Order: sequence, then structure tokens, then C-alpha cells
Amino acid sequence: MPSEFPVNDPRNIWQNQHTEAFKMSADELRRKAQQRERKSRFEAAYTIIAGLILFVFFTRTFSRAHELAPRIGFGVLSFWGIYVAYQACKRIWHGRLAPDATLNTTLQSYRSELEKRRDYAQYIWREAGLTFCFLGMALVIVPALIKSLDAPRLMVNFVPFFVLLAIWCAVFFPMRKRNRRKLQQEIEELGVFEGGNRS
Amino acid sequence: MSQDSLYEQAADTYGSSLDRLARAYEFDPEARRDLLQEIHLNLWRSFAYFDLRCSLRTWVYRVAHNVATGHVIRQRRIRDRLVSIENIESMSGSDQGELAASQTEALERLSMLIQRLKPLDRQIIVSYLEEMDAKSISEITGLSPANVGMKVHRIKNILRRWFGEGGLHAK
Repeated sequence: MPSEFPVNDPRNIWQNQHTEAFKMSADELRRKAQQRERKSRFEAAYTIIAGLILFVFFTRTFSRAHELAPRIGFGVLSFWGIYVAYQACKRIWHGRLAPDATLNTTLQSYRSELEKRRDYAQYIWREAGLTFCFLGMALVIVPALIKSLDAPRLMVNFVPFFVLLAIWCAVFFPMRKRNRRKLQQEIEELGVFEGGNRS
Repeated sequence: MSQDSLYEQAADTYGSSLDRLARAYEFDPEARRDLLQEIHLNLWRSFAYFDLRCSLRTWVYRVAHNVATGHVIRQRRIRDRLVSIENIESMSGSDQGELAASQTEALERLSMLIQRLKPLDRQIIVSYLEEMDAKSISEITGLSPANVGMKVHRIKNILRRWFGEGGLHAK
């Protein structure tokens, strides 16, 4: 390709690069927006169904359990199923773009994206009701574990579960901590610019 | 003006700029096309709220940069490797090498430089390359004009190092 512009002028180089004429018709845009909304509603619907299946399964198990602690555990787990379905129900009408999601200045938007990433684990924990899930599982597993103390061979069955849990904890928590620290550092760097704007 | 006609006007006026902007955020052509589509879709949606609180150009660039920044932030592996303009400026001249021999090579080098930058710095360099002044960049980014001026000064230094004197052709 013949060089029409001096290679040492970045602005000319940037502005005269080849671009494609990209434009979407109004119909195409509407169709895309509807597809997006439909997809998000379907996803929410699947989660509602999954939550209800969990609810039915744990309620059945609850009614069959004889001991108190596992019974409460299955009760908590069936409540968790309902909670998951409820959270998905709340999400179902939120498929549309929030007005401030794209209209803030880029600094505000960047900061809010970083904060969202930083708080993601906390958010996911609350949204998925993982407190109910882990509490329920503990109430089901711990009594069985205590029982197996009398029969060490049964205890062996729990070993793979606890090994995997330990590996997950050893990898997940330090990674999360490091990621949060990095994001926090970046948010604080942005704070310097925001401070500069106020002064 | 209706949402559709505002979008029409924006796409006609800033279509090429948006294509270039997408190139600043995504190297892979397939993914870039998806990003560009995402920008156009969000732009059209955003015009439902357009209330003339800023110019059409500021609005278009804000939406486009915000969508593209979200795209970069979601890619954690890439995000972790990004550096600031200050980092690049303080690096030794090892990046500079010889001046580019052709326009294509120069464009590749420029794209490579842009894609190493953190989103906020990337927004500033792209706006600078699109011939915007400090006030316009300030409206888009929300940084003070003084901060923008300082960043632009650093960008010019880097571009001079990477491209020779052309990096100083600033308004």
C-alpha cells in the first residue's frame, strides 16, 4: 500500500486507517435488544425451575429424615431452593439497560465497574444465598461425620470431599484476596484524579 | 428527535471513529466486530435518555468508551497486564526501537501501544488521536482539564519517542 501520510504522524496514521462502514438498521437494533431481553428472561426462568426442583427434592428428603439436625439441614436447603428461585424472579424484569450504566463520565463508569468486580464475591454470595446452602449442608454432613467417628472406615468416605474442599480454600481465598487488593489499588489511583477534580 | 434518528445521525457522523475506537480495545477481528455491535446497540438504547445535557459527540464517546471499558475489565488476564501512561513514559527506550518503515507498521505499533494502556489512559490517547482538545476529553472522561493536559503532555512525549517528531503535532 502506498504511504500517503508521514509515518511519524500518529494522528494521521490513526485517522486514516481503513475502517468499515458499520451501521445497524432500526429493525435490527430492536430485534437485537429483544433477543437480549428474551435471553436474560430465559436464563432467569431456568434458574427459577432449578430452584423449584431443589426445593421439591430437599422437602421430600426433609420429610423422610428422622434425626433432628439433618432434618433442619434439609429444611434450610429447601428454603435455599426457594430463595434461589425468588432471586431469579427479581432479576427477570431487570433485563433492560439501567439508565446510568452507560451515561456516566468514563471515570465514574470505570470506577463503578472496578467496584462491582471488587465486590463480586460478596454479591454472588448474597445473590445465590450461599449462607443457607452451606449452613444446610453442614447440618446434614456434620452429624454423619460425628457418627462415623465410631467407624473409621466410614470416615474414609469423607476424605476426598475434605481434600477437595481444602484445595479449593487454599487456591480460592489467596487469589480472591490478591485480586481484591489489585482492584482496590486501582480504585484508589482513580481517587487521586477525582480529588484533583474537586480541588 | 427520536431515538432512531439520533442513532442514525450518530452512526453517520461517528461511525468511522467508533470503528477505530473498537480497534483500540480489541485486537481480534471477530471479537472486535462483536464489540462494535455492542457499542452500537448500547448507543441506540442510550438515546432513549438523551436530554441534551451534553453534545452528541460527548454522549457518543462516553457510551462507546464505557461499553468498551466494560469489555476490557471483564477479561481479567488482559486487565492484569495493563499499565498506565506514567509507567510507559518512565520505561527505558527499549520499546522505541527504530522508526516505523511503513504506515501499516506504524499503525500496528500505535495499536500495540494503545492496547497496553489502562482504560482511562486509553480513552485519553484515543481522544487525543481523534483530534479532541483537553476540554472535550475532560467532558468525556470526567477528569479535570488540568489532569487531561498533564496526561496529554505525557502521551505526546511517548509518541515522540515511538514515532519521532510527529508526536508533537498537537493543537
